[in-house]
Amino acid sequence: METFLNILLSGILLGGIYSLVSIGLNLIFGVVRIVNFAQGELVMLAMYATYFCFAKFGIGPYYAVFLVAPLMFLLGLVVQRLVLQPLQNEPMMQIFATFGLLILFENSVLAITRGEGYSLAGAYSRAVVDIFGLQASLSRIIVFLAATTIAAALMLFLQHTMAGKAIRAVIQDRQSARLMGINVSRTYLLTFALGTALAGVAGALLAPIYTLSPYIGGNFILAAFAVVVLGGLGSVPGAYLGGLAVGLMESFAGYYVDPALKQAIWFIIFVAVLVLRPSGLMGQAGAEEVGLREQG
Amino acid sequence: MRAPTQGELAGPRSLGRTLVQAAGLVLLGLVPLGLLWGNGYWVNILATAYLFAALAASWNIIGGFGGQFSLGHGVFFAIGAYTVARLYLDLGLTPWLGVFPAAALAMVVALLISWPTFRLRGPFFAIATMAINEACFALANYSDRITGGPRGILVPFRAGFSNMIFIERWKYALLMFGFMAIVVLITAWLRRARLGHYLMAVRADEDAAAAAGINVLRVKLQGMALSAFLTGIGGGLFAMYVRVLDPPSLFTLPDIGVKFALITLIGGIGTIIGPVVGAILIVPLENFLRGSLSGDIPGGHLIVLGAVLVIAALFLKRGVVGAFLGVARRRRGAS
Repeated sequence: METFLNILLSGILLGGIYSLVSIGLNLIFGVVRIVNFAQGELVMLAMYATYFCFAKFGIGPYYAVFLVAPLMFLLGLVVQRLVLQPLQNEPMMQIFATFGLLILFENSVLAITRGEGYSLAGAYSRAVVDIFGLQASLSRIIVFLAATTIAAALMLFLQHTMAGKAIRAVIQDRQSARLMGINVSRTYLLTFALGTALAGVAGALLAPIYTLSPYIGGNFILAAFAVVVLGGLGSVPGAYLGGLAVGLMESFAGYYVDPALKQAIWFIIFVAVLVLRPSGLMGQAGAEEVGLREQG
Repeated sequence: MRAPTQGELAGPRSLGRTLVQAAGLVLLGLVPLGLLWGNGYWVNILATAYLFAALAASWNIIGGFGGQFSLGHGVFFAIGAYTVARLYLDLGLTPWLGVFPAAALAMVVALLISWPTFRLRGPFFAIATMAINEACFALANYSDRITGGPRGILVPFRAGFSNMIFIERWKYALLMFGFMAIVVLITAWLRRARLGHYLMAVRADEDAAAAAGINVLRVKLQGMALSAFLTGIGGGLFAMYVRVLDPPSLFTLPDIGVKFALITLIGGIGTIIGPVVGAILIVPLENFLRGSLSGDIPGGHLIVLGAVLVIAALFLKRGVVGAFLGVARRRRGAS
């Protein structure tokens, strides 16, 4: 029973990490309809920025997040305007472009750091919290709480503000949204930047947990895609719960099957959901085909 | 709707003329080999360029003509490579014959994984195939009995024609060139064949193609089968060429699966000769950059490659061949 509870807890905390990474990806995916293959690398950039804040200025990651997230927002604005906006109606070229960004970011960081591994872990991840007799690392609990808070805040934002309503309108139907006077192109810009800023939050909060490497984005991106597909396009609660589900599945499969097969397990989840319910568990049916070939 | 671009609508040219033209253009590919004859370093790079031209041309069948953006071709490539190596090492089967069961196996696997994933469109198909690639990467690391696990398989060097292992590099270059010529001629035939037209109709508009009576799923599966079969042969040739097979060298996306697509994009997606042009530009460029940059800047050549990919997506959507055809057409229109 104790083992089971331990696996459950570690699965939920891992799920928090996946949720945090996936929320931004799903927002971009659902609204802008761009499959951002470089999302994991955005998280990676933010992790390095956080490390830099700590090493150079002594700013801890939980303060640095307030610096890194706005910087990532700016990066998102630039990337969307320069690279993605011109390719809005060309899904194939978007794949090339975001994959190019992935290779570019990954190897630029490799070139700058010369492949040296950095780690904040010594300073931050030792703190352990006792929950009903189970041990959990404080930094992972913070990630879980942050993912929960962000998901809730984002849902409130989407439900109750004008900008949030505009985003939801664009998710549902971009033509009609435009007819209602919503500036669709600006909504894309802001949503992409918001998704990038969320990658920034994720990077800052994950920096104390992982040893930094230029390739770490690859650890997140496939899980994040699985989460998005599972949770449903553009759905915030879908991304949050999907993240928890994938974390739990990985944790249990890792213990009862074999940790080396986790990718195969994501893939099975993935294909099963894609085939049985392409719109995801909480997505709008048919959403996966909206806007892929539409003009405007 | 977008207007049909050059090469999308079949012109009045006959199949014979297309084949002759393609053969002529392919023979031009021998020019660099003739110029660099005797320079072992460059002949080696050319052999790789020819092989990747053939692989990109195979990808182009389903990715370019059919518009199905597969990131999973590394899987078919790896199946071809592992099968040829295993048949050669365990049963002593010559790779000249071993490539056929290898390619057939790649084709069967391709059909099995494509049947569910072809329900997905556009980027969703790309994500699913990327997931397949990563899952098979993990499986290859895991099943050491077949793949040798992370340590990989080493094919011992026993030179000889029947082993497809040569001391002279130019023999590899000619072998890869021959394979490239075959693949290009197959795509040239496909371009004029019924299946090619169906694939292009599916790319232009799946719903319209279905409405016109095309069995969309069957056409996609046929295109994928042909593409995977040829990719499997390429994997087999690669196995006997490098003779060291470990999972990263077969599944790493920027080196294999995405590289096929990248080469096709640079040369010209959906054109017959584009993949050849792309490979002859990209492979030597990458090797040159790797040699000159990577000593000082780790990953330097990949920074350039990533930038090339973004810039090509933005400004060279129809590739070198597409841009060239566009200029030629404008000039013809002006005169």
